[in-house]
Amino acid sequence: MHWPLPSGNVVPPPRPTWACGAMVVAAATLLTATLWGAQDKAGAPTPAPKDNKPAEYVGSDTCQGCHEDIFAAFQKNPHHEVETNKRYKYDGKACESCHGPGSKHAESADAADIRNPAKLKPAEADRDCLVCHLNKPTQVGRINGSHAKNEVACVACHSVHKNGPNGLVARKTAEVNQLCAGCHSDVWASFQQPFRHRLPEGAMSCVDCHNPHGSFLPHNLQTMDANEPGCFKCHGDLAGPFAFEHAPVKLDGCMACHMPHGSPNAKMLTRNQVRFVCLECHSNLPTPTAASNPVIGSIPPAFHNLFAPQFQNCTVCHQKVHGSYVDRGLLR
Amino acid sequence: MKILIALLALAPAFAQTLVDQAKPADSTTDTAQAPAAADNPVPAAEPWINGSIELGYRFRTNLNGSSPAYQSIVDLSPGLRLLGVDFTIVDPKHRLFDWLSVRGSNWGGDPYNTAHVDAKKKGIYDFRFNYSNILYYNALPSYANPFAPGGFDQQWFNQYRKNISADLTLRPNKRIVPYFSFSRNAGSGTGISNYAQQETDTFPVATKLVDSTNDYRAGVRVESNRLHVTLEQGGTTFEDNDSAYDATPTNGDSTGAIQGQTLALNNLVQAYRIRAHSVYSKGLLTASPFSWLNVFGQFLYSEPKTDINYQDAATGNFVLLNSLLFYNGQTDLATGSAVGPHVSGNAGVEVRPFRRLRITGSWSTDRFHELAYSSLAAVFLAQPSSLSQSTTTLLSPLLWVNDNRGEAMLFWDPIKQLTLRGGYRYEWGNATVPASEQSQIGLLESGKLSRQVALAGVNFHPAPKFYANVDYEGAVTARAYFTTSLYNYTRLRARARYQVAPALTLQANFSVLDNQDPIPGSQYDFLSRDNSLSVNWTPNGGKVFGLLAEYDRATISSSIDYLLPLFLSPDVSAYHANAHIATSAVQVNIPPVRGVAAKLTLGGSLAIVNGTEASRYYEPLARLSIPAGKHVYWNTEWRWYGYSDQLFLYQGFQTHLFQTGVKLSR
Repeated sequence: MHWPLPSGNVVPPPRPTWACGAMVVAAATLLTATLWGAQDKAGAPTPAPKDNKPAEYVGSDTCQGCHEDIFAAFQKNPHHEVETNKRYKYDGKACESCHGPGSKHAESADAADIRNPAKLKPAEADRDCLVCHLNKPTQVGRINGSHAKNEVACVACHSVHKNGPNGLVARKTAEVNQLCAGCHSDVWASFQQPFRHRLPEGAMSCVDCHNPHGSFLPHNLQTMDANEPGCFKCHGDLAGPFAFEHAPVKLDGCMACHMPHGSPNAKMLTRNQVRFVCLECHSNLPTPTAASNPVIGSIPPAFHNLFAPQFQNCTVCHQKVHGSYVDRGLLR
Repeated sequence: MKILIALLALAPAFAQTLVDQAKPADSTTDTAQAPAAADNPVPAAEPWINGSIELGYRFRTNLNGSSPAYQSIVDLSPGLRLLGVDFTIVDPKHRLFDWLSVRGSNWGGDPYNTAHVDAKKKGIYDFRFNYSNILYYNALPSYANPFAPGGFDQQWFNQYRKNISADLTLRPNKRIVPYFSFSRNAGSGTGISNYAQQETDTFPVATKLVDSTNDYRAGVRVESNRLHVTLEQGGTTFEDNDSAYDATPTNGDSTGAIQGQTLALNNLVQAYRIRAHSVYSKGLLTASPFSWLNVFGQFLYSEPKTDINYQDAATGNFVLLNSLLFYNGQTDLATGSAVGPHVSGNAGVEVRPFRRLRITGSWSTDRFHELAYSSLAAVFLAQPSSLSQSTTTLLSPLLWVNDNRGEAMLFWDPIKQLTLRGGYRYEWGNATVPASEQSQIGLLESGKLSRQVALAGVNFHPAPKFYANVDYEGAVTARAYFTTSLYNYTRLRARARYQVAPALTLQANFSVLDNQDPIPGSQYDFLSRDNSLSVNWTPNGGKVFGLLAEYDRATISSSIDYLLPLFLSPDVSAYHANAHIATSAVQVNIPPVRGVAAKLTLGGSLAIVNGTEASRYYEPLARLSIPAGKHVYWNTEWRWYGYSDQLFLYQGFQTHLFQTGVKLSR
């Protein structure tokens, strides 16, 4: 395999001796550990029974005896449907649909005798949820999403037992934002800057723009209509199609010029003066390598005198910077 | 359709096996033990309504500093407000609904207000309605001509954008779920835009902004335990009726005279009549044919079409620089259309060959092929009339984008507490886009994308109290679309959380993005770092006080070469930011006085940014909540908003806001 350099040249692959050796060792380690892991039942989530008799299902009313508060809350929970709907084949045994057969735990009252998804690895706990929830439209982009890759468990956001008909997950904007900020505290900090979307004010929430289950688009971005970035859900006037498109909007998205979480610059721009946002792409550079590695936007100069205030903000004249219906120069 | 029917026919077979695997063989006899109490999930004593409503009055002290900047950033005004309403109604008889939930915030004159309604009747329907109305106000200087009257606000706009959406999901069947949805996004407002006269001069003019998008869609979901298919058909309509009208004679931004003549705009009428519509189709699929295999896929197609009508008529003193023709009237009439078929699709698979090993693979493509037609007829009226000219420009611009990416990832759990992952992604594409008017290379220019990305990650969870996560991307790029695109980059994110004590949790985040484009002439060098530390301390379960605080330091350092227009002198666009951002909330439960236990909250946020755009922004707050009855709280809040910009000093402002009100809850 050849790794092309930016200049278009090709370098030979690295010398294979140590690389091949390392790969063989890594593969052997991987295989050994995997096969070892597959037989390592001691690490399995269901505790090993203390005798040979497997645990049996005892029904939710048995659980109620000790876990009255959870049982009562669960009555109003959407998951209560598992208790009553025969479709799920756990009617009367909703607790054990996630926790596994509970007869041994009921006898011993020992926490080690029951499966507790909250203490499992996220991927294992998620498997419980995904038995029912995998085949849903929300999960279509799951493996592309950063939450799945970083093994953020379903229960990190969803409360399985929580009280209330709408209580599996936060619904109020402020609560949604607080939930997301619990992990993404660095992102939440960006929203404390003066130019931002109205999240701290509670007018918007993180899930207005991001789909936490995963998305077709990078950064778990929401989509609208069939496949447009979710930004256009609110900024519909910028979606086009225009007769004269500004290519970065379609190619690199809004973040080519904006910092949507917050910025010290007006209009959430990436630079504090508009002309630099523009000139960094429209850099007018007839570079020696341009023929072999052309980039879009390297146009010959416009010959504006940028020392004159008239020309220091490009978008005063080129005001249809997101795309124009009329003018090739994006003037109107 | 044949495939759909086949999948539907197979669905029940898939559905049975998975559930059977999860159940033990001897569980059938336990069915009889299902509790009878489960039949009535809502206890009889449950109140039929619970929730809260908060009404308040806001005062604002005199604004010290820039009113345009205050309105652009904060824009809260005094007056009576419905600060929040939130209630849920439960109907024990399950007539129209099982439960109905209503939420709303900031009604009565605030620059943003929201409303949400959710209702559900089990086995019949789910209904969801959302409304938001957010003001986009910007009156910050545009610097086009600081000496011209009104020159500071040549991009002023004051526009409300209203979003309405209503979703109805019907539940006639446990496996077949039809749904219907409508949404509307509409903007209306006023502003100042610019009439650009042949790139010679620009005149600020009053503008009316009106646009709306309606979206209708309907679909059906077919769900079983092993398979899900969603088929959706939708359509949108779009209108843009922006217009400008100005009868006030004004000089343009060009400050110098041309051949002794000063350019001026006496009168302008400008109108856009843009109409667009789109039909789109969506198909989603998830399937679990085997316990060790999950399959995902989606296909999305839309075909938006825009019809363009534009006209303007202006009088004044203008010039065509290429012929040095001075003229006093201009009309433009533009018609055109643009069609942009947009095809997107992706497919993914997750395989679990062993218990400690998972492999995921995905491929996606996004293809946007737009073709437009534009006709612009311009008439330049001069005196004498024999000097008048007219031009017609016909163009057929296109935008052709094909973006693809393929990714494979391997997850391995060497021990129970550790997950390692590694993978590879290849991104490739090509784009042909309209060239700039000055490009002199024709109407179009092209670019390509070719990027190889190495992926890695670690999830380490040695104990319930500690969790750490690392996410790494490293890329080598052969071709990129823009000089500022990601090129050879390294992105690393790390996150750790440690529960020091039951009442004390620490979390640290670290992220870095280092992007280098070594191509001679641009030499793009970008480095951003973001480090944050947060602490959550609630001793004694927060009975006395609780603290939630966070400190974040974010830096950006960017430099890229460019040629300064006019004399093509080499220059560097450098941008640096060094931000210190802190937020905190301390909640103190004040000891009861005569049986009244008040709560005091102190905190707020500050953002101190040094560098190219040095600014300070403070939002401290204090809130006192005093119970005035069993279900009544008297809330009083103070906030101070302070903003200063060290480059644009006149943008600074400071003001106090006081808010007092009553919250009734049940």
